Amino acid sequence: MRILIIEDEPELAKSIADYLLGENYLCEFAASFEEAFEKVTTYEYNCILLDLMLPGGDGMKILEELKKQNKQDGVIIISAKNALDDKIKGLHLGADDYLAKPFHLSELAARIYSVIRRRQFANANIIQQNELKIDLLAKTLLIHNTPVLLTKKEFDLLLFFMGNRNRVISKNALAEHLSGDLADMLDNHDFVYAHIKNLKKKLTEAGCDNYLKTVYGTGYKWENE
Amino acid sequence: MAQVINGKMNKLLNTPLKAFTLYALLVLAGSIPAYYYIVNRIWLSEIDLHNKFVKRKIETEFSKIVINDTILIQSLSLWNRIEPGIDLRPLAKPVQKSDSLYTVMRANNLHSRHSNRFRGLSSYLIINGKPYHLTVETNVEEADEIISDIAFVTFGFFILLVIGFIVLNQRISAKLWKPFYKTLHQIKAFDLSSQRSIAFEKTTILEFEELNGSLQRLIEKNISSYQEQKEFTENASHELQTPLAIIQSKLDLLLQNEALTGKESEIIEAAHKALARTSRINKNLLLLAKIENQQFVDTEPINLSQLMNDSLDFLSEHIEAKNITIDKQIEQGVFIEGNRILLEILINNLLLNAIRHNVENGKIGVEFSKHRFIVSNTGHNHSLNTANLFKRFSTSSAETPSSGLGLAIVKQICNRYHWQIHYSFDQQLHCFFVAF
Repeated sequence: MRILIIEDEPELAKSIADYLLGENYLCEFAASFEEAFEKVTTYEYNCILLDLMLPGGDGMKILEELKKQNKQDGVIIISAKNALDDKIKGLHLGADDYLAKPFHLSELAARIYSVIRRRQFANANIIQQNELKIDLLAKTLLIHNTPVLLTKKEFDLLLFFMGNRNRVISKNALAEHLSGDLADMLDNHDFVYAHIKNLKKKLTEAGCDNYLKTVYGTGYKWENE
Repeated sequence: MAQVINGKMNKLLNTPLKAFTLYALLVLAGSIPAYYYIVNRIWLSEIDLHNKFVKRKIETEFSKIVINDTILIQSLSLWNRIEPGIDLRPLAKPVQKSDSLYTVMRANNLHSRHSNRFRGLSSYLIINGKPYHLTVETNVEEADEIISDIAFVTFGFFILLVIGFIVLNQRISAKLWKPFYKTLHQIKAFDLSSQRSIAFEKTTILEFEELNGSLQRLIEKNISSYQEQKEFTENASHELQTPLAIIQSKLDLLLQNEALTGKESEIIEAAHKALARTSRINKNLLLLAKIENQQFVDTEPINLSQLMNDSLDFLSEHIEAKNITIDKQIEQGVFIEGNRILLEILINNLLLNAIRHNVENGKIGVEFSKHRFIVSNTGHNHSLNTANLFKRFSTSSAETPSSGLGLAIVKQICNRYHWQIHYSFDQQLHCFFVAF
């Protein structure tokens, strides 16, 4: 999978690349508008991470160009602005998602995963891992071909883990993922624990291996060799 | 507030009115003795003249007629009885005295007991070579009657003056002070956050023109410094987002280290929490700046009842986690014109506060009607400090690590739509009222 990280902040670009490394992702960088413009028009990427405020130009222009050329690259806007106008405009111009800085790398990874899946398997979007079978369109889970009924949040969590396999995800990141901006206002993140516990229980009861591990003191990890 | 001020204070134009009225009262009251003195003097001198004229007439008439002394005396005693005003009596021997004037109080006639004031002339005459004493007395109006008449008339004039003052005052107020009141009205309606300066009307009065000019400069300066401050907040928050994103990403990466010990993980977790708090403060400051900068312009009719129910549903797990009972009375189909995002934030912030500051097994009340809603909750058994409840960072403490901006944002949103928000602590419930 080819990912293009268009971000003028080298440290952030490097962090993203480091995090995505090893998950079959190949990351390239572009730190200026010209560089980004040249790369997106020359090559194809599975996913482009686009910072809107770039030295040399407005990131929106790149989106416009992609649309003009009818390119099928997935695009996630990562912006410090978090302006609704930008979000609407970006999505309207064909971006798949919009993520405001600062974000958790796990959140970004989950979104990249989802964008790529959507772009690649538009019609039959099924994730299979041993006995687990997740139908993204129907939003159902089969374990040993038996349907397991999950709540919306549990299903959401499962997908989040799918996008962050073999990585430690902090409780904070999960809380923010589940409750969005509201996580800010909540004192404790016990509700994350409650959802995880339920998900784990349902998986185990359906005869699923214990892939979801608790990492002492920090968070959780979905292990998949 | 304005009413309290009005209750204690006088309007500008009423102050001179009072002074004028009081002065007019003093002057007119002072004029009463002066008028009395003058009227009385004129009166007395007129009467004296009249009395002298009577005396002279008597003298002349007697000098013309020739009359027997005995008949004269008989006639006089009859005359004196009928006409007590003129008294002519024979004297035993001549008295060498010039005429004298006097004032006396006596009954008008023999049958009346009511005494009147009389002005008299006492004179000694020689008739038929014999000495006589003549007194001519004429009734004068009494002093108290004169005074009361003058006072009555003066009071009438005073009333006329006061009416005149009031009418004139109103006319002047309407005309002369019109630009002033207009300016006052404009300043009262001025809203700094709207960023619109005031266009004062031109006046022909120098002082008002100067006042308007000074106010205009003051307001423009205020607006520009407010603008700068807002821009600063927004820019600073923006600039902070990227370094915060870098720290966040580095911590996320650090977490992936297989060799992390439990203690190190705890340190990362603690750093994560502090960072989350920083991000949240930054994000909320940015949000506040954006609301102030009028960035949420899109409005649409929003079903507030629906929004409230959705929000309660969304938060249900947090409500259940604390085993909180919800008592909701939501009138369906309450629509309001506004920005969806802002209204969601408003309702979420209020509900989240009600959850966060609640106790285990507590209660939350949500009351919703056409023109207001109330969110109430159990919690601490004492009222919150209302003075700075809605101020930024006033409620932030180590105990409740919130951003300290939740209520400031709520207040800002209410201000934006000119809704009233207030807080009360009643029957162990913390209540937030929003009237729209």
